[in-house]
Amino acid sequence: MRFARLASLALVFALSLPVNATVDDAHSYAMEAAAPFVDLGFIVREDFWNGEVKSGQQLMIRHQLFKGNEYAFWLGTANENCKLDLQVLDANAKPIQIATKIGLGPTFTSVRVNPPATGSYTLIFSVTSKTDTSVFWALAYGWH
Amino acid sequence: MKSTLRTIVFSTVCTLGAATAHAAEGSTAGVQNFDPAKFPGYVVEEVVVPVPSEIFSVLDKLGEPNWRQELRGVDAAKGSDRTHLALLFGNHVAEGFVAVQAQDKKAVEDIGREVIAVATSLGIKNAVLPHANSILDAANKGDWPMIRKEFDLTQKTVREEMAKRKDSDLAQCVSLGGWLRGTAAVTAVVGKNFSPDRSELLFQPMLLEHFLKQISIMSKGVKGSTTIQTIEKGLGQVKVLMDGSASGVSQESVTTIGKICNDLLKLIVTAE
Repeated sequence: MRFARLASLALVFALSLPVNATVDDAHSYAMEAAAPFVDLGFIVREDFWNGEVKSGQQLMIRHQLFKGNEYAFWLGTANENCKLDLQVLDANAKPIQIATKIGLGPTFTSVRVNPPATGSYTLIFSVTSKTDTSVFWALAYGWH
Repeated sequence: MKSTLRTIVFSTVCTLGAATAHAAEGSTAGVQNFDPAKFPGYVVEEVVVPVPSEIFSVLDKLGEPNWRQELRGVDAAKGSDRTHLALLFGNHVAEGFVAVQAQDKKAVEDIGREVIAVATSLGIKNAVLPHANSILDAANKGDWPMIRKEFDLTQKTVREEMAKRKDSDLAQCVSLGGWLRGTAAVTAVVGKNFSPDRSELLFQPMLLEHFLKQISIMSKGVKGSTTIQTIEKGLGQVKVLMDGSASGVSQESVTTIGKICNDLLKLIVTAE
């Protein structure tokens, strides 16, 4: 009985993900967001964050930024029909990200940041799917 | 104490920020009593350590540093201890970033060859060789953005390869060696032409916290090495200086941080 319940849960979970979606796909979409920024001279960091998480779950990352650089952060997901949110907060919890007109799409989003001081900043983001219970995400950044 | 207080203040600010962001979608009730342990979100613990180029590019905007003067070159590894080799690998990659900034073709080629040698000693030559060859090709063409990208990729590939082999301690050593060399270069440039804008680039307590935490969870074998213990002590001293520099990193602190990093690098480079 318990096995049957677990098996059906596993099946529901498996069906809730797009076929072949992976964290690598999420990174590919993040890089699609990065492409127009590269044309503007941004240098893409090869290291990035990624994972799989429950749809709508907020995630938090701390990251060191240097005053004098402009940064762009690119959030991608391998899941369709998602809403992506990305904020960068300073030490006073004030959002400092600047909205962009580039690097936006159904499976990715971008923000720009001009850090007012050198130090650590907090990134808060989420990927909310209309159809899937869990989502693959990747967050990359670049500077110039 | 000051450090602990700062950590608490920062954590509170972060979590309040997180709670606020979360609450923006609904009610703001509960923000005042927010309990970090009950934070509804997920904290991603992984830290991406910035590459030296991120700081070098700001220094370039603030003046015209003579990067050739900062080049030290890389010597062949003298020993076979894997901890030392991983630290040395990080040092070499960071030296590569200095060579890119200096646009010194010969230095890049020398570093590229030494990167292959250290990778061979670490048993990860196959993973590194494609990147090292790309670095050498790009150096021939003077394609500096490509060289920078490949040095970044090399470091990432090596850390991933080490993690796959259950050598995550050594992966941390690569980052650590790179950070020490990059920071030494920054202190040298800032020290030669001090200004608050330049010295502010050394305010990185979060990264110090990260490295010290990583050392604290290393296996006994790695953590027990004299070199790692000396590095831990040195990083602790740097952290004290950075924790006391929220309003600006003084010229004296820049000199001291530089000396500590250089002493630690000497230990890494000359280890047998």
